[in-house]
Amino acid sequence: MIEKQTRFNQSVYDCLFLVAANALKGSSPLGAGLVQASRSLHTTSQSLAPVPSLPEKGGKVRHGIFPEEIFQLLYPKTGVTGPYMLGTGLLLYMLSKEIYVINHETIAALSIGTVIVYGVKKFGPDVAAFADKLNQDKVAKAQEVKDLAMTSLSQAIEEEKKEQWRAEGRSLLFDAKKNNVAMLLETNYRERLHMVTHEVKRRLDYQVALQDLNRRMEQEHMVNWVEKSVVGSITPQQEKESIAKCISDLKALAKSTQAMA
Amino acid sequence: MMLSFFDQFLSPTFLGIPLIALALTLPWVLFPKPTTKWLNNRTVTLQSWFINRFTQQLLLPLNLSGHKWAALFASLMVFLLSLNMLGLLPYTFTPTTQLSLNMGLAVPLWLATVIIGMRTQPTVALGHLLPEGTPTPLIPVLIIIETISLFIRPLALGVRLTANLTAGHLLIQLIATAAFVLAPMMPTVAILTATVLFLLTLLEVAVAMIQAYVFVLLLSLYLQENV
Repeated sequence: MIEKQTRFNQSVYDCLFLVAANALKGSSPLGAGLVQASRSLHTTSQSLAPVPSLPEKGGKVRHGIFPEEIFQLLYPKTGVTGPYMLGTGLLLYMLSKEIYVINHETIAALSIGTVIVYGVKKFGPDVAAFADKLNQDKVAKAQEVKDLAMTSLSQAIEEEKKEQWRAEGRSLLFDAKKNNVAMLLETNYRERLHMVTHEVKRRLDYQVALQDLNRRMEQEHMVNWVEKSVVGSITPQQEKESIAKCISDLKALAKSTQAMA
Repeated sequence: MMLSFFDQFLSPTFLGIPLIALALTLPWVLFPKPTTKWLNNRTVTLQSWFINRFTQQLLLPLNLSGHKWAALFASLMVFLLSLNMLGLLPYTFTPTTQLSLNMGLAVPLWLATVIIGMRTQPTVALGHLLPEGTPTPLIPVLIIIETISLFIRPLALGVRLTANLTAGHLLIQLIATAAFVLAPMMPTVAILTATVLFLLTLLEVAVAMIQAYVFVLLLSLYLQENV
């Protein structure tokens, strides 16, 4: 809403400005000629730039309407009271010779004069302050934009410096990363090496176990066979003989022990 | 120089040269051309601010096609305001006290709004002749009344301005004459009369501004109805 209003203000302002500016030129078929009509009275050559800057405030006046220049003009000859004497004299002359006749319009003039003077004295400073404030607000807005731009730019400079510092540290980062990667590779290699040896050892262990098993089974088998054959080869005759031998040995032993005892 | 009460309402002439054109174009001198500078002096700043604010406020209720009248309303307001205010100074001629000028402003502008309404949206424009919610038996009478009221508008517009300003000026003159005549005879009464005159002058200042504003406001209202 505010942007719409300011855009509208601007457009109205521009429209009125253009109307005022081109009123003379475009008003009639002779419009262009009217601008040129006074050209014969120009004393200096026309120069559009550089334009001398217009004064910021109006000329100084005394008592609201009399320019200060009159007082300065009359000061060398008549001093400080000169212009006042001139004014009083003129007024009295016009009154006495009835060049200016006092009538009801004089009273009306006094009345409206009072109203004007009262109004200017009472509301003048406020209105002037308001007009100044309008201009100051304009300047403040532009200044704000400028300040904002400056702060954002200085902030950008700070950040740029920080980025440069960061860029310097990047080589350290790369070295650390390289070390990391190398370590990872080394670790990986060692792991795989370990795995390989482990696998090979497993296979060899298997073969060794296989051989052991083979030998044991052969041994057992051989022992079983030998036992079986030995047990089988023991004939009953041999068994009796061995038992008789054992008994005779025992008797002999018993005799010897008896003898010793 | 004997002034009668009619002298201030006579169209001024000097050695047979009518000065009415001067009287009408004098306000132009008081409004300096807006410069291309970014920051202006106080006069131009205040005038631009006033014209901007006034136009914005006046065009607020109008829809977009009514915004074409912005320059006309703003310039009319400034014109009438300055003519009225300058007329309060002594020995000045106020062109807006002449019925011819005011009717010359009111009738074409009012007629323009009516014709715009009739051309672009005739049904709506004619529909304004019957206010909403009227009981059925009253409709014919009301249409007639509303038509009369429509045609009285330019008359009212012109005469309002003329009458207000003429009456105000005449009153100021009469009371000033009373004070002037009473001053040697009964000074106290003259002082009372002078006080009345002072208050009346204040009123006339207000009336001068209000009448100009009312003229332009009513025209914008007529435009609002028809655009």
